[in-house]
Amino acid sequence: MHVVGKRIERVDALKKVMGKALFADDLRFEGMLYAKVLRSPVSYAKIKKVDASLAKELKGVRAVLTARDIPGENRIGILGDPFRDQPVLADEKVRYIGDPIAIVAADSAKIAEEALNLIKVEYGELRPVFDPVEAMRQDAPRVHEKGNLASLRKIRRGDVKEGFARSDVIIEGTYKTPFQEHAYLEPEAGIGKVDENGDITVWACTQFPSNVKKEVAKVLGLSLSKVRVIQTVTGGGFGGKLDISVHCHIALLASKTGKPVKLVYTRPESIMASTKRHPFIVKYKTGATKDGKLLAVEAEIIGDTGAYASYGPAVLTRAAVHATGPYSVPNVKVDAYAVYTNNSICGAMRGFGVTQVAIAHEAQMDKLAERLGMDPIEIRLNNALDVGSRTATGQLLSHSVGIKETLQQAHKAASEWKQDISRTVPTGRRGIGVGAMWYGIGNTGHPNPASVFLDLQDDGSITVLSACAEIGQGLDTVLAQIAAEELGTNIKDVKVISGDTGVAPECRGSSASGQTYIAGNALRQAAIQARETLFQQVAADLKVKPEDLYLDNQAICVSGDSERRISVVEAIKRCRSLGILTLGSGWSNPDTTPLEPETGQGNPYVTYSFATHLAQVEVDAETGESRILKLAAFNDVGKAINPIGVEAQLEGGLSMGLGQALMEELLIEKGAIKTPTLAQYLIPTSLDMPEDMSVSIVEEAEPSGPFGAKGVGEPASIPTTPAILSAIYDAVGARVTKLPATSERVFQALRRRPY
Amino acid sequence: MGKIRIRFRVNGQDAELAVDPMATLLEVLRRQLGLTGTKKGCDAGDCGACTVIMDGKAILSCLTPAMQAAGREIITVEGLSCNGELHPLQKAFIECGAVQCGFCTPGMLLSAKALLDQNPNPTREEVRMAISGNLCRCTGYKKVIDAVMLASERIG
Repeated sequence: MHVVGKRIERVDALKKVMGKALFADDLRFEGMLYAKVLRSPVSYAKIKKVDASLAKELKGVRAVLTARDIPGENRIGILGDPFRDQPVLADEKVRYIGDPIAIVAADSAKIAEEALNLIKVEYGELRPVFDPVEAMRQDAPRVHEKGNLASLRKIRRGDVKEGFARSDVIIEGTYKTPFQEHAYLEPEAGIGKVDENGDITVWACTQFPSNVKKEVAKVLGLSLSKVRVIQTVTGGGFGGKLDISVHCHIALLASKTGKPVKLVYTRPESIMASTKRHPFIVKYKTGATKDGKLLAVEAEIIGDTGAYASYGPAVLTRAAVHATGPYSVPNVKVDAYAVYTNNSICGAMRGFGVTQVAIAHEAQMDKLAERLGMDPIEIRLNNALDVGSRTATGQLLSHSVGIKETLQQAHKAASEWKQDISRTVPTGRRGIGVGAMWYGIGNTGHPNPASVFLDLQDDGSITVLSACAEIGQGLDTVLAQIAAEELGTNIKDVKVISGDTGVAPECRGSSASGQTYIAGNALRQAAIQARETLFQQVAADLKVKPEDLYLDNQAICVSGDSERRISVVEAIKRCRSLGILTLGSGWSNPDTTPLEPETGQGNPYVTYSFATHLAQVEVDAETGESRILKLAAFNDVGKAINPIGVEAQLEGGLSMGLGQALMEELLIEKGAIKTPTLAQYLIPTSLDMPEDMSVSIVEEAEPSGPFGAKGVGEPASIPTTPAILSAIYDAVGARVTKLPATSERVFQALRRRPY
Repeated sequence: MGKIRIRFRVNGQDAELAVDPMATLLEVLRRQLGLTGTKKGCDAGDCGACTVIMDGKAILSCLTPAMQAAGREIITVEGLSCNGELHPLQKAFIECGAVQCGFCTPGMLLSAKALLDQNPNPTREEVRMAISGNLCRCTGYKKVIDAVMLASERIG
């Protein structure tokens, strides 16, 4: 292979280092108006009256819209029915602090802001509910009329009662994780513009242009062909830019005023209005033999999805499916509840429920190893999934199961680390911890197709058109590599135009670590189609069969006859001279089955990525402060299309995993966010990251993936957090089960130690 | 409040313009001068995306009143390359894979440039310190530090 697997510079890096990459807030149109959103200051109330008359009279105000002004459906929801439960503008009720009520477009942002203060809203406050456990009770206030249980996902395999009865050891634990914030560096922004036909174009950051198109069309009551979404350069997403943010609001205002309308969130607004990572309460029970063989796992998972569903039911489903961890467990019972409360909306965030359950299943494995006096990595190896294993959903794993290889590599590294027991402060204690995970690629048993168009042009250069989203993960570069590889061209001759619903059909969102696998497969088909057209003509000209032809160094060659070759460009010219265009289109949807509702049995993913991470920490035994000294990632990605990109994802994942372990907690009290800025919600800085950080790519090729690739985005961060928590325990014997493990929490756990 | 005329140099060129006395340097750069390479990530001095160089020092343009730029020399990301030639830092960021979403990149580049202008041969710890005010959610900072070290080798 000449491009795939090579360390390729990102195709979008030049414009980004020159400051020329245009993010949504960098765009400006003639006569553009500025929008602001009036948001609810109360967590749960009936809206009795909205009076915008004074705001409308303010000089420079061009439109003030409320729920009544929405021409189409006033509901959005990324999972579709029955979870389209979020109003674009609150109609009867507001359900969280931040729920939008009215939108204003004005000549300047300042005027729009002033206008917000002139809108009078009369609220009839209702009794809110903030605790998901309380919300599950029959007598709790109802956030939605249908009740507070958004979804329950059950997994049933074998017989857990019998499994526990046969177990020599039973380990129990309860683990609590907090709300977390994506904290992408770019706050949400976009511009809407309407043309003379009433067609709408939305330029905005998003991870999911096709979803924006569908939602805007529904909300405006337009046909899909009248809405075009052009994704602007997107400054990170991590799941938080999958849902609708500015998009419907700017489209409504542009449609109303006939002028381009820009909306840019402030940072506190971004934190208030975007979805959060679901806080989980995980009650976990593990049964094993005295040899450390897992016999049964029972888990109850409660996830607070906040005021609206967003991705909640899907997050809890994925959490349930992955609750055993990457281990073979014959008897499994999992109940995972997504519960409505009057807290901020929770949705997708890197890890999508697996982050939270991995903290639980990995702590359980550590406790089990300790109880049995076994090595924590060896006990994981003894139980790890393998080719031929069945998962908790009954899926037979037939290929590409790299968990053992990642564990073995981690084992070797950990034994080398163990020799280093120096300390930087006298009260410092060092520890090493391990975390392992598995992660299904693509949506859980639901269709999520990607599509691509490809044009192989006269000069041999290639244009790839797609609605898939580059959000910083490196997708455009990976797509360029796949096209160049399949068509034997130089990567410099490939142009990828992505994120534009006006030039390409529907594409799944950049989520579920699935874009390389799914969009990569779609592109491969498109490239092969264009190549076949070329080969057919060359085969006819050379009087050979198309299957006897192959590509080598930008030439089409005949097997077994090295003399006979024609350059790709010559072949294209020949096709063109006959009026034959070398085009391709492809779409791909993973071949999965939905989960059976009562037992959760099924094949929810085609393939899984696996990973083991290691952490070495020094904990100050007097203060509880932890310092991360070393991090190492061992990730089975199938095949690294661009190793430098995979490393970059892994290193970024380590930092997010570290943040989640030690510092990240979005505090919400009675529905109000207490940490609405980046000075209060802390994410890792360069000083928090250890100098000693290594990433190892394991390649257990996936036969159905493009060149064997699976995925890496979320597996990059999931195992880091449990590895760090495990290292803290190894250092000082303090097990933190309520995250994050701040100095205070470690200190408290130290005081609770039995010795 | 009336606008006040100020003069300063931006990326080697004189700029003279009337600014709102309440405006930040960030707003003036982005809106009045069209230099949108400088990013607004928080508007509160927490994230570092708005970092520019003023008289040789890396500063947060979202916390700096535009008036304070009067008579000063400002460098933004648009002024890093010279006669079409990329700055060694820009080249190194591309080669090392230090760019992902790219939103923190301009500020990161300018913090690094301010460091290398003062200290052409920094240690990795000094680089780590110099970029500690620039948040990045994508990279984990390792490739950024690699890139600054590579640029420093090439400049030195």
